[in-house]
Amino acid sequence: MTRLVLVAATSAIVWMGTSSLRAQPPRVSTFIEQPTQEHIAFFEKKIRPVLIEHCYQCHSAEADKIKGGLVLDTREGIRRGGDSGPIIQPGNPERSKLILSLRSKNPDTAMPPKGKLPDPIIADFETWVKMGAPDPRDGKAAKLPPKYEIDLVKGREFWAFQPPVRPPVPPTAKAGTHPIDAFLITELDKHGLTRAPQADKRTLIRRVYLDLIGLPPSPEAVEAFVADPDPNAFAKVVDQLLNSPHFGERWGRHWLDLARYAESSGKTVNMNYPHAWRYRDYVINAFNTDKPYDQFIKEQLAGDLMGGSDPKVRAERMIATGFLALGAKTLNEQNGLQFELDIADEQIDVTFQAFLGLTAACARCHDHKFDPIPQKDYYALAGIFRSTETCYGTIRFIQSNRPSPILTLPKDCGLPPGTPEKLTPEERARIEKQIEDLNKQIAEQTDFIRTLFPRGQVSLLRARLEAFDAEGNPKLLAMGVRDKPTPKGGGVGGLPRGPGGLGGGGFGGRAGTFTIADSPIYERGEPDKPSATRVPRGTLQVLTKAPLKITPGQSGRLDLANWIASKDNPLTARVMVNRVWLHLFGRGLVPTPDNFGAAGQPPSHPELLDYLAVQFMDNGWSVKQLIKSIVLTDAYQLDSKNHKPNYDIDPDNVYVWRMAPRRLDAEALRDCMLAVSGQLNPQPPVGSVVARAGEGPVNAFGRPGGANITQAINDPRNVHRSVYLPIIRDNLPEALALFDAPDPSLIAADRPTTTVPAQGLFLLNNPFVIRAAEAAAEKLLKTTTTDTERIRQAYLAFYGRPPNQKELQNAQKFLKAYQEQLAKDRVPVVRRERETWSAFTQALFASAEFQYRK
Amino acid sequence: MLTRRQLLKTTSVGFGYLAFAALAHEQAAGAAAEVGANNPLAPKTSHFPAKAKRVLFLCMDGGPSHVDTFDYKPKLQADDGKAVPRGPGRFGGRLLASPFKFAQHGQSGLYISELFPELARHADELCLLNGMYCDLPNHPQAFIQMHCGIFQFPRPSMGAWIVYGLGTENQNLPGFITISPSGGNGGPVNYGSAFLPAVYQGTRIGRGGFGGGIGAAGQQVANLRNPKQTAQQQRIELDFLQSLNHNALAEGGDNPGIEGLISSYELAFRMQAEMPKLMDLSKETTATQRLYGIDSGRGGGGLGGGGFGPARGGAFGQQLLLARRFLEAGVRFVEVTLGGWDHHRALKDSLTTSCAAIDKPIAGLLTDLQQRGLLKDTLVIWGGEFGRTPTGQGDGRDHNSRGYTMWMAGGGVKGGLRYGRTDDYGFEAVDGRMHVHDWHATILHLLGLDHTKLTYRHAGRDMRLTDVKGHVVTDIIA
Repeated sequence: MTRLVLVAATSAIVWMGTSSLRAQPPRVSTFIEQPTQEHIAFFEKKIRPVLIEHCYQCHSAEADKIKGGLVLDTREGIRRGGDSGPIIQPGNPERSKLILSLRSKNPDTAMPPKGKLPDPIIADFETWVKMGAPDPRDGKAAKLPPKYEIDLVKGREFWAFQPPVRPPVPPTAKAGTHPIDAFLITELDKHGLTRAPQADKRTLIRRVYLDLIGLPPSPEAVEAFVADPDPNAFAKVVDQLLNSPHFGERWGRHWLDLARYAESSGKTVNMNYPHAWRYRDYVINAFNTDKPYDQFIKEQLAGDLMGGSDPKVRAERMIATGFLALGAKTLNEQNGLQFELDIADEQIDVTFQAFLGLTAACARCHDHKFDPIPQKDYYALAGIFRSTETCYGTIRFIQSNRPSPILTLPKDCGLPPGTPEKLTPEERARIEKQIEDLNKQIAEQTDFIRTLFPRGQVSLLRARLEAFDAEGNPKLLAMGVRDKPTPKGGGVGGLPRGPGGLGGGGFGGRAGTFTIADSPIYERGEPDKPSATRVPRGTLQVLTKAPLKITPGQSGRLDLANWIASKDNPLTARVMVNRVWLHLFGRGLVPTPDNFGAAGQPPSHPELLDYLAVQFMDNGWSVKQLIKSIVLTDAYQLDSKNHKPNYDIDPDNVYVWRMAPRRLDAEALRDCMLAVSGQLNPQPPVGSVVARAGEGPVNAFGRPGGANITQAINDPRNVHRSVYLPIIRDNLPEALALFDAPDPSLIAADRPTTTVPAQGLFLLNNPFVIRAAEAAAEKLLKTTTTDTERIRQAYLAFYGRPPNQKELQNAQKFLKAYQEQLAKDRVPVVRRERETWSAFTQALFASAEFQYRK
Repeated sequence: MLTRRQLLKTTSVGFGYLAFAALAHEQAAGAAAEVGANNPLAPKTSHFPAKAKRVLFLCMDGGPSHVDTFDYKPKLQADDGKAVPRGPGRFGGRLLASPFKFAQHGQSGLYISELFPELARHADELCLLNGMYCDLPNHPQAFIQMHCGIFQFPRPSMGAWIVYGLGTENQNLPGFITISPSGGNGGPVNYGSAFLPAVYQGTRIGRGGFGGGIGAAGQQVANLRNPKQTAQQQRIELDFLQSLNHNALAEGGDNPGIEGLISSYELAFRMQAEMPKLMDLSKETTATQRLYGIDSGRGGGGLGGGGFGPARGGAFGQQLLLARRFLEAGVRFVEVTLGGWDHHRALKDSLTTSCAAIDKPIAGLLTDLQQRGLLKDTLVIWGGEFGRTPTGQGDGRDHNSRGYTMWMAGGGVKGGLRYGRTDDYGFEAVDGRMHVHDWHATILHLLGLDHTKLTYRHAGRDMRLTDVKGHVVTDIIA
């Protein structure tokens, strides 16, 4: 960014100071073309020496690198100006960037950069500008180096922007090799790597259970699999898991990471999103029903525009668009236009990262630095999203002043309400009375500050009333988006229209837009710097041959969705198969799953990636079939043991010489504890604690009715699967946050695995873990009688395998030592057995073998 | 610069059990190097020699008035009650003279208001930054900006960046500790690590805000104590657990993840023992406690962060003493938050209460650090998210982000210096202007970090605390 560019932004500050004027030359408004002798003398004496001394180093033909595209060593140059336009408005110093930069105190914009010139010199420049900037210098201004321009033709040659083509499967030594294995073996051979042997059946069944449903196999399931001689035994298990309702709970959660799913607005004022859970359930259901991925994309981006005669289908499609509404929001933003641009930006970001693995939002302020995405393309997309009304709800409250409407689902859609509660007529009357009293209080209060609290209370009470229909039944509401209306009279539309009106704009400050309209380009993304012309709505040029056709009368979201969910899009299928691969192998074929652009890394197996992508599309975008085909390969079933010679060549297992062992992710770890201890409630809960709490700030005090979210977040008694835990921005459940669950304000394609003492403290001391250990101990004590049998049972339940002799002895040694310590600590005899076994099961929960999937 | 992947890959490699076993018998601080250079919290070499080794940030949540504390404005006193025309940042209203007297203190002759009789004795240590400004006069945005640089996107907080850049000295303790942070204004965002690995986020002790005003005694780190087991019992369980882990390690071949797990359990176990000891203020002499105002009843104040009202009963002195103990033990970045500075009303009474709550404790802290030889390389920073208007809002003052004061002491800054200036009334910084980005750049510089080089790759970009801005203010560096 050039220094001069910023001057305008701070001119308001500079404006306040006025320059002392000595001589008052006649005002002019054009450049002096025929300078007089006095003009020339003034220039030579007062201006030229200063330019030479302080400016030429960066702004002349001699400069090593001409800064800001500005040269000051010729008349032509000084009048032409720099990258951000002319720097002199003849006759008007206050509007000349030259003068404003000389006066500026902002180190980012001030000129010269080394220090402000003395005031008299600045006054000379002001005088000179007022004269009309007479300049006797002749000659051509230095040629500027060609500016970097995005080359779209060349950009299209990048591997990821070329359509995938089904590659021939390489020949292998062994007949009947799975095509995926064939691709992998070819690379292994090339790199001198030998494949690990196949994993044993116990390891394999635990692996596939954890990967596909995020829960451990029961000891019975393990034994049945081990005993099954059928060569298709593993395929049978896979089918069973793919058909389990727990499949969607695991794979849906992977998607929710990308969708930055959360039940509150986060950021400055954290307000509840009581209806977000519907999107969560939609995603889980989509994976369980194996909704074709292209359909899944379209529904999330434009479900509202897809119609459907079945009210249930219509409702689901509305809910799907929650994808665009769930983002973090600055609900105390003063400037309506800024707010609207920020929402559109967030929507562009999540859409392009989640579906296409591109960071298109980088082009908001300037052309993309790495990828061929001009700023213009960004605003073509922004036009689509600015023509969309985002319905996320929230209420007015202290600091929260950007509520929006919320979507009402079709009455006969058959979906459950978010809360089982009803509003009795008595409670309605009581709330109405409370509101009346508070309003009276507000009316009598002269001090505005003191009205904030009662106003907030009124907001909360009203929100509670509005959550129910006239009969007192909870309303069926959802977050999502819909198109803004078409402009009246068919004009360009979108011009700000006073305060109030549709959400997404309009409260305080400058308003946003209210109709479908193209967007201008905003210089550096600043809302007060729109370009004069608007960019037609569309998408990235580098990925299209012809501009995207926008359906008249619509925002263009459906057209965008169809373009993304198309077989012609070179990225969509590749990005998704890479995600699936990542979740199964711990590393993507493209190791940067969030970036398929130039700043990302190229695929380790480009042919395999394309093979999978084409196969995925040809199989009707079926995620389940994709997963099945991968887990049935030999590669997925490799043992995970380390092997030094291979490790030395390929420590990151890029070429898949083994199955990489991985720590369970946060949800799986918690769910496995619940499952093994027998506490797990496998039924999905209806709604969410946030839905029961209703609208309002996350930490509402004096909330009328409803649930206490803060308490619920880490409630150790909650025995539902982790995907159903309340996801409040900036206040994740400890069990998730400690084990690397992503910040739900960020779009997360891959989770890191950190190992820190805080995790150890959690596993050693947290009440949830202690409860699980006690429940697991209780179960052992109930079902078995001897120590040996208990240890054996525990190993089967926790690890899916029996203990060996050494382990058995080690465990017995521990039991004895612990008993003795309890005796020493004078723990009553009746408690000793239970406490010993609790310590035993807790150690097993905390152990590496439990935490890792091999 | 490490990429996320490299860093994560190395997070646990070489963090081996043997190295750890040796460590167990050493002073933790000295043995940090043995934990291995791949430990993400191991001390790292700074970009250039550092003036400060550690930071204590005294965060005054709510925006303390500068014109009543550290920015003396005689013209404001003279023009009390005069109407002020509207302009940028000026919303009309009448000037409100400070109800507090200012006097010069120390050899340097810094003007400090009568609200700080004790702290004024340290005038020659203070570097007043009178030309601070930030982007918005709104609590949440300004508060997040003060901590994370920008408020528009989730970003790591300053403490997380610093521990990422420098590691920490004591491997038994977290590198970044925040005492009674505000629950509002973004809450955990202000000590979060955003895209940096979670190991760099702040460890919270206690909570500010409503009902959160608890004394040091009640303040704990999460999961630090087992509610059911004695330490001996737990040790037996842990020994068994570690035997299982060693078995898994042997079975699977080298697994850096499991190695890391084994050592993290030992660290956790020792942190359990270390933290309560460190947090036990009774180990301090009466004289020291008195220094912090703990026994005099003047070390109170400390509703904690985020409250609306004035500070009331609590333990700011205890929190500062706790902070000193952490710093001394090798924690890199400690923040102590005190709420209740949003004085829209009853300025005279409420500001008196707030200042009385911190005056003696902070003065005592500076004396204590000095006596222990810690002040020279401990950077102490005081301030809030913005200042307040010279015009009155009834008998209080409104928010003002265009000009306010923060101060620094120790850690290689010039003492007895008044850097920067607001206009005659204190509306706007006019000289020595220091944006929050500049403030961050300067803090990093004092720690030996170049703010343009402390980067982390995220979403295709090398991210910085100062985004694309920030200038080091070298004039304040000793």
